[in-house]
Amino acid sequence: MKPELNNLLHSLKQSIIQGQVDEAGPLARKALASGLEALQVIEKACVPAIEEVGRLWEAGDYFLPELIAGAEAMKAAMTVLQEALKSAGQSLKSAGRVIIGTVEGDIHDIGKNLVASMLRASGFEVIDLGADVKIDKFVDMAERERADIIALSALLTTTMLNQKKVVDLLVSRGLRDKIKVMVGGAPVTEKFAREIGADGYGESAVQAVSVARSLMSGRGGSHG
Amino acid sequence: MLDIKKLTENQILLLDGAMGTELFRVGLPPGHCPEAWNEEKPEAVASIHRSYFEAGSRAVLTNSFGGNTLKLAGYGLEDRTFELNLKAARLARSVCPEGGYIGGSIGPTGKFLKPVGDLTEGRLVEAFRPQVEGLAAGGVDFLLIETQYDLREALMALRAARETSSLPVFVTMTFSLTRRGYYTMMGVSPEAFVRAMEENEVEAFGANCTLNPADMVGLIKAFRSLSEKPLIAQANAGQPQVRSDGSTFYQLGPDEYADHIPGLIGAGARVIGGCCGTSPEYIKKISEKIVQFSDKIG
Repeated sequence: MKPELNNLLHSLKQSIIQGQVDEAGPLARKALASGLEALQVIEKACVPAIEEVGRLWEAGDYFLPELIAGAEAMKAAMTVLQEALKSAGQSLKSAGRVIIGTVEGDIHDIGKNLVASMLRASGFEVIDLGADVKIDKFVDMAERERADIIALSALLTTTMLNQKKVVDLLVSRGLRDKIKVMVGGAPVTEKFAREIGADGYGESAVQAVSVARSLMSGRGGSHG
Repeated sequence: MLDIKKLTENQILLLDGAMGTELFRVGLPPGHCPEAWNEEKPEAVASIHRSYFEAGSRAVLTNSFGGNTLKLAGYGLEDRTFELNLKAARLARSVCPEGGYIGGSIGPTGKFLKPVGDLTEGRLVEAFRPQVEGLAAGGVDFLLIETQYDLREALMALRAARETSSLPVFVTMTFSLTRRGYYTMMGVSPEAFVRAMEENEVEAFGANCTLNPADMVGLIKAFRSLSEKPLIAQANAGQPQVRSDGSTFYQLGPDEYADHIPGLIGAGARVIGGCCGTSPEYIKKISEKIVQFSDKIG
C-alpha cells in the first residue's frame, strides 16, 4: 500500500481513538476518495481503533467521556463507510442482533447506553428498549425482531431478579434455545448470571462486546 | 445556622443509611417514583426517618434524591418538583428530635452534559433550582449534593443552591478504586474534586457509594492531605449477594461495617453515614462504635 494511503488509515484510526467526532467522517470519506475499499478501511482502521478505545478504558486510561467520544467517532466513520458499501451493492455482515434494555422497576440507563454504544460500534444491530422495560416486552421484541441476544441491565438488588424472570419467560415460551441472554449492572456478578441461567455476563461495556461475540460464535451464524 | 466546622471539631456527625432499600422494604412498588411517596405515603417515609434517628443518626437526609426536574420528568412529575421537595423536608422535620438536623438530599440527574449527552449547564441549574427552593422552604438545615460523578454537574447543583438559598452546602462524589487510583466514572480525580470544593467554598465534602468502607479509607486520607474542611464518608456495605432463595443481601453485616469506622475516622472523616445496603441496624452499630472512639477524635 502507498505510504499516503497508510497515513490516511492511520489518521482515521487516530481520530476514532481520540474521539474526534467531527473528523472521523471526513477522513473516512477521504480514504474512499483515495481509492481504498470500504471494507478495507473498516478492517484496517475502524475495528482496531474501537478495540484500542476499549483497551484504554479497561486499563483505566480512558473514562466514560473518552469512551463515548470514541464510540461516536466510530459511528461517524461507519456511517460513511456503510453508505459506500450500500451503493456498491454490498453490505456489512451484522455481528448479531441485540435487544437491550434495563429491566422493569429500574430507571438507571447509563450503563445500558454504554453497552449499546459499544455493541453498535462493534458492528451489532442494537434495538434499545430503554429503561424500566416489562419482562414480556423483551421477549416479544426478541421474537418479533428475530434477535440473537437479549441484553439485560439491572442496577438495583431489588430489580436484578427481573433478569431471571426474562430467562424464565423464554423457557416457558419455548424460545430459550433460540435466543441467548446476557446480563450486567453494578450488583450483577458472574455467579448470579450462572445461577439465573443466563448465557453470559459482562463486567464492563467492553467485556459485553466480547461476551456478545462469543455468544454469536457459539450460535454458528447470524442474520445478514 | 448549622456550623459544620464547629460541630465536627471534636465529634462525629452521624448521618443516616440507605433510603431507597428501606422504601422498598416498606412497600414502594418497583418503578414507582420514590419522591411521590412524600405525599402519597408520608407516614411510611417518616417512619424510616424516625427509625434512623432512633438508631443514633444526628442528621437524616430527605427523601428527595431524585427530586430534580429532569429525574421527576421520567414520571411526568416535573411540575411538582417544588412541592415534592417541600414535603420531603417538612416530613423529615416533623420527626426531627431536639438537637437533630435535616439535610436536603440532591442526587444527580442521570443525564449527561455535552458532549457526552445533550444537556447544557443552564438547563442543569434550572433542573436543580426548584428542588433547592422546595427543600429550603421546607426547613432543611443543610443541603447534600450527593452521589455525583461529573464535577460540572455537581458545580451546577451548587450554583443552584447558592443562588436560591443561604444554606450550608455539602457535596459528595462517587469514586471507584481503579488500577490508576481513585476516580469517578467521568474521570474526576480526588485532586480535581478537592480543588473545586476549596475554590467554591463548600462547607463540607467527601465520598459516598460504590466503595466499601475499607477502600474508602485511602480516599478520605487523600482528601485530608489536600484540605482542612470537614470530610464526609458514606460507604456501601460491600457488594450485593444473592441467597439461594433469590433474596439479596450485602456482603458486610452491621458489625463488620462498624469495625471499619475507626479507620475512616482515623483517615479524617468527621461526617459519617451509610450508603447502599445499610439500614438503621448498621447506624446503631456505627453509633456504638463512635461512642467508644469519641475520646480519640480531635
